[in-house]
Amino acid sequence: MQSDKSLLLEVDHPQAPECRKAIAPFAELERSPEHIHTYRLTPLGLWNARAAGHDAEQVVDTLLTYSRYSVPHALLVDVAETMARYGRLRLEKHPVHGLVLTSTDRPVLEEVLRAKKIAGMLGERLDPDSVAVHPSERGNLKQALLKLGWPAEDYAGYVDGEAHAIDLTEDGWELRTYQREAAESFWNGGSGVVVLPCGAGKTIVGAAAMAHARATTLILVTNTVSARQWKDELIKRTSLTADEIGEYSGTVKEIRPVTIATYQVITTKRKGVYPHLELFDARDWGLIVYDEVHLLPAPIFRMTANLQARRRIGLTATLVREDGREGDVFSLIGPKRYDAPWKDIEAQGWIAPADCIEVRVSLPDTSRMVYATSEPEERYRLAACTPEKIRVVRDLVARHQGQPTLVIGQYLDQLEELSVALDAPVITGATPVKERQRLFEAFRTGEVGLLVVSKVANFSIDLPSAEVAIQVSGSFGSRQEEAQRLGRLLRPGEPGPDGERKVARFYTIVSRDTVDADFAQNRQRFLAEQGYAYRIVDADDLDASADQV
Amino acid sequence: MRNSIARTLDGLTRGELSVLDALVVAGQTTEVELISILRAEPSYVATTVAHLVDLALAWESPEGLRALSGVADCLAGGNAAGVSGLRPRSPGRRDTVELETVIAALPREARSLLEHVVAEGGTAKPGTARIGLRPEDAETPAELLIAHRLLLPGGSLQPGLLVAPGEVGLALRAGRTTTDPVDTPPTVASEARSPRLALGAAVGAATDVVRRTETLLEWWGVRPAAALRTTGLGVRELKASATYLQVSDTVAALLVEVAAEAGLIGTRADSDGNPVWVPTTDFDRWRELPTAEKWSTLAHAWLASARLPSLVGERGPDQKPWNALTPELSSSGMPEAKQMALATLAGLPEGHGLAAGTGLPTLVTRVAWERPRRPRTRPDLVGWAVAEAAVLGITGADVLSSYGRVLVEGGDPAPVLATLLPAPVDHVLIQADLTAVAPGPLEPDLARRLNQVADVESHGAATVYRFTPDSVRRGLDVGWTAAELHAFVLAASRTPIPQPLSYLIDDVVRSFGRLRVGVASSFIRSEDEAALAGLVGDPRAAGLNLQRIAPTVLVSTLPIDVLLPRLRDLGVAPVVEGPDGVVRVGAVEPLRARSARTRDGADPARAAARQSAHVVSAVLTLRGGDAEARSRPASASAPGGGVLSALREAIERRGAVLIGFTDNQGVVSERAVLPLSVEGGRLTARDQGAPDDDLDAERTYAVHRISRVVPVA
Repeated sequence: MQSDKSLLLEVDHPQAPECRKAIAPFAELERSPEHIHTYRLTPLGLWNARAAGHDAEQVVDTLLTYSRYSVPHALLVDVAETMARYGRLRLEKHPVHGLVLTSTDRPVLEEVLRAKKIAGMLGERLDPDSVAVHPSERGNLKQALLKLGWPAEDYAGYVDGEAHAIDLTEDGWELRTYQREAAESFWNGGSGVVVLPCGAGKTIVGAAAMAHARATTLILVTNTVSARQWKDELIKRTSLTADEIGEYSGTVKEIRPVTIATYQVITTKRKGVYPHLELFDARDWGLIVYDEVHLLPAPIFRMTANLQARRRIGLTATLVREDGREGDVFSLIGPKRYDAPWKDIEAQGWIAPADCIEVRVSLPDTSRMVYATSEPEERYRLAACTPEKIRVVRDLVARHQGQPTLVIGQYLDQLEELSVALDAPVITGATPVKERQRLFEAFRTGEVGLLVVSKVANFSIDLPSAEVAIQVSGSFGSRQEEAQRLGRLLRPGEPGPDGERKVARFYTIVSRDTVDADFAQNRQRFLAEQGYAYRIVDADDLDASADQV
Repeated sequence: MRNSIARTLDGLTRGELSVLDALVVAGQTTEVELISILRAEPSYVATTVAHLVDLALAWESPEGLRALSGVADCLAGGNAAGVSGLRPRSPGRRDTVELETVIAALPREARSLLEHVVAEGGTAKPGTARIGLRPEDAETPAELLIAHRLLLPGGSLQPGLLVAPGEVGLALRAGRTTTDPVDTPPTVASEARSPRLALGAAVGAATDVVRRTETLLEWWGVRPAAALRTTGLGVRELKASATYLQVSDTVAALLVEVAAEAGLIGTRADSDGNPVWVPTTDFDRWRELPTAEKWSTLAHAWLASARLPSLVGERGPDQKPWNALTPELSSSGMPEAKQMALATLAGLPEGHGLAAGTGLPTLVTRVAWERPRRPRTRPDLVGWAVAEAAVLGITGADVLSSYGRVLVEGGDPAPVLATLLPAPVDHVLIQADLTAVAPGPLEPDLARRLNQVADVESHGAATVYRFTPDSVRRGLDVGWTAAELHAFVLAASRTPIPQPLSYLIDDVVRSFGRLRVGVASSFIRSEDEAALAGLVGDPRAAGLNLQRIAPTVLVSTLPIDVLLPRLRDLGVAPVVEGPDGVVRVGAVEPLRARSARTRDGADPARAAARQSAHVVSAVLTLRGGDAEARSRPASASAPGGGVLSALREAIERRGAVLIGFTDNQGVVSERAVLPLSVEGGRLTARDQGAPDDDLDAERTYAVHRISRVVPVA
């Protein structure tokens, strides 16, 4: 236990699995490289634990039990104090006054009432310990209270919504243990977020949650292709039929008992208003599913604030948000209800293991000169798009001949060049949805063995057959993107004829001594922290290291 | 005398004070009698009396045991300080039994009145009550009490007052000075704690304090903390330190104060002459000590310290927040509060700590019983002492640690603590994300070397280091080689070296030193490599310190004005190149001296005119002065009182006078004026000889500024 509130877990220790289980409820896994995993105690994590029914005594006891060295007293005090802040305030339903904010600790209520931000959300003072709340402010109030450091426990319950029969049809497949656990802990908790690695079957957790709710459901996803995949998956896995599932996107606007909408269409703004906001009121939704919570755009947070009476489930591979709005996810969608480390699920064979290799190319001298004298904002593009990379990609593709391969990049002209050089189809944002689906389908069936894709493929596209991904450029140093791209590879394929499961290979091609390499370092670090072995090889040594690869 | 008695009394417990008080009430007495009027165990009274006699607060007079005279006056502070509030017994006192009978027979109002008088200090004003009545004639409760001689006239000691003598108070309280037992100190609420956890928490805190102090002071050594003019530490500096150490402001203030008390920091002037706090040379000695001894130094400094770091950030009487290290931030009661609090903790049953919630208030009560005459701020002091002891690791989970006990008893805690500290480890675990985790305190040498090549990311019992290109470069800067680096990480790591780390080291080494920087005063550049080679090889050029840094470039440490003539002497024909690369033609400018400045004398007509003007003005001034001097009588000054009359006289005769006048700047000047009037201490006068239409010539002068008046003919 460190003074910066991080916990170091020695993985090879005999008690490690036991300890991991004990600390998982309250500590966030920050990095999990090969020997020592780092967990961190954060107020959000501790409150998550409180929400899940753990108390400070348990946490302190766990820390003391498993700590190799003595734990600084101040930290223990801090843990107890932080945890004690959760639940001092409660949102409850009152038979007469509707929604009320009550407190077991009057000074806290007084402090909160005096906060300027909150004053407007509260109604009259009912008695010394409770105050009325405008029902429409339920979400905003929770958000504001979290910012003040006094998160409220929401006991106000949920509306059931319009009932609609949804069952899982487990023919030829069954819910995996962790998927069942995830759906159940969500249901018992009311609302919240389920964190599962890419490829671990988050859609199915969503479907299982719907089967629990048995009510009309609104599903919010990142893009149209992913919407279609959700629809296919729901038809396959549940008793729902195609007629019961509507799509609400830029092209189609159907509202059915189960409606799948994209973030984009909902956040479209015309003349300062959101014309598609009506969707939320179109039906008496019993459940709202947020896919890829970590990408949830800001306007949706605001809309979600008004939906606090409905059950909400968030699905994501990582709670890391590049914009740092984890607190809003906690207060508006709900605490984390389920989390499983990638490696554990990988060990169970549900996601494929991956081998990450960074290939460094040197810019030719002429390019180095151009690079050195270029404007800073041009540099990444220059470094990322060096023609050297195309040569290396060609080598790699040749080496993995016969294995389904994705080449992923950021810049369209680079992708076009690659497409020509490799003689492979290219998918970008400009490719029509139909064409995209056709190509993805062809890739899935093995008809097409090589695809060049832009960042449209980052999210929620199921390409279980992909075995090799070659990344030539990305959005600077985004860790999230790295996770998503790696996720493309981790959907496990069928075991090979020799019973061996595939090992995914993830190549990143990087220009040496440029900003490209700096960004790559950021992303590598993320991979290493996730426990993926990665290696760095020079492009010139690629042939020499062929045996290892 | 009085002061020394008061001071001795300050060191007594409430029980001892109660015994002393009883002795005062009893007057001359025996120990047996003393025991009979005290609500305490006889043995307690006996030992206490012996103690009081030792302290010379009581003595065995031939007539019996008695308190030192003067003690009675010094006993103050009411019941809380062991004072019963009873008056001394009167010499001609009645028998106790008789008194009790009288009191028992009193009506209810009279008894209440008597109880009230005894409780309020034993004196009362008679008011309208008549004195000298028989009990039958008494009309009011007061008169009845007087008639029964339960209230006696105060006599010469308390003139005009009625006094309830001690024996009456004793009779009211069933023959004892107090209604509560005096010999039982209040118990401290305690509860058993797991010894492993408590000791663990203490040792954890102790190592933390040492590490944090060291970290902070090393930081201050590089980036000194600005001192306030009062030598305190400003709020901003304290916050910066707290953030750096990842602790609260209060803890940071405590660490800083303890470091100052231990002599590890001091002030000096920085390069701009502003006062700053920096580590002292003692810090360097301290740093070399083993952890346990480092802690011992800090703990001893804290225990003896009167400083109040817990007040830092609170507002003082002037509503300004207290700053750390401010000289006034201390209380003489603090060392005793610490001693008492820790001694009380030491007195708890083995393995017991303060009970959660109720523990601290009962501890405060207990300390109040032990030293009842201490100031009212004591509850705060005791609370702070307990909190600070926890931060320092003297206690853990409010249980006094084994080495803390040694400290309180005045011994050296270091050997005890040393056995409890985790053994240093000699290896780290290096991982693919380029971190190296030391799973315990590192051996100092290993830690020092690791610090050179990696950044510390997280402190604690374990340490997390991170290798970055910058940190590796830093290592190369101080002289590591690639091979040494590889060998070092291999030797230090218990796990295989991840490939990215080896790659990182090689990659940094590859780019290390790509640019080279040196010192030269001039350079020689030529496209003709052979010419440069020839120059370097020329034995005559040996003194030029030429160094070839590229085939076409030589550098020299000689400045260009020395180099250039020497090169010309060698027969090469150099040209000078400016910083912009343009060749400067080196034609030598002929030497010239500065011309003399031209004078006005060059134009005789102008000079003559100027000179004659000078002469005229000089002559005029001289003559004016002569005229004045001639008109000035030999005895020029009029006496002080004569100024006014001289002026009046001049006004009457309408004659001019010469006045000596001191102006606002204190300059004394003389003026020839025609006085017009004197009014309200001011003289109005016209300058003599001024034209009649010149309004500015009329001025007023303050008469008291005029030092003399001389009539002008």
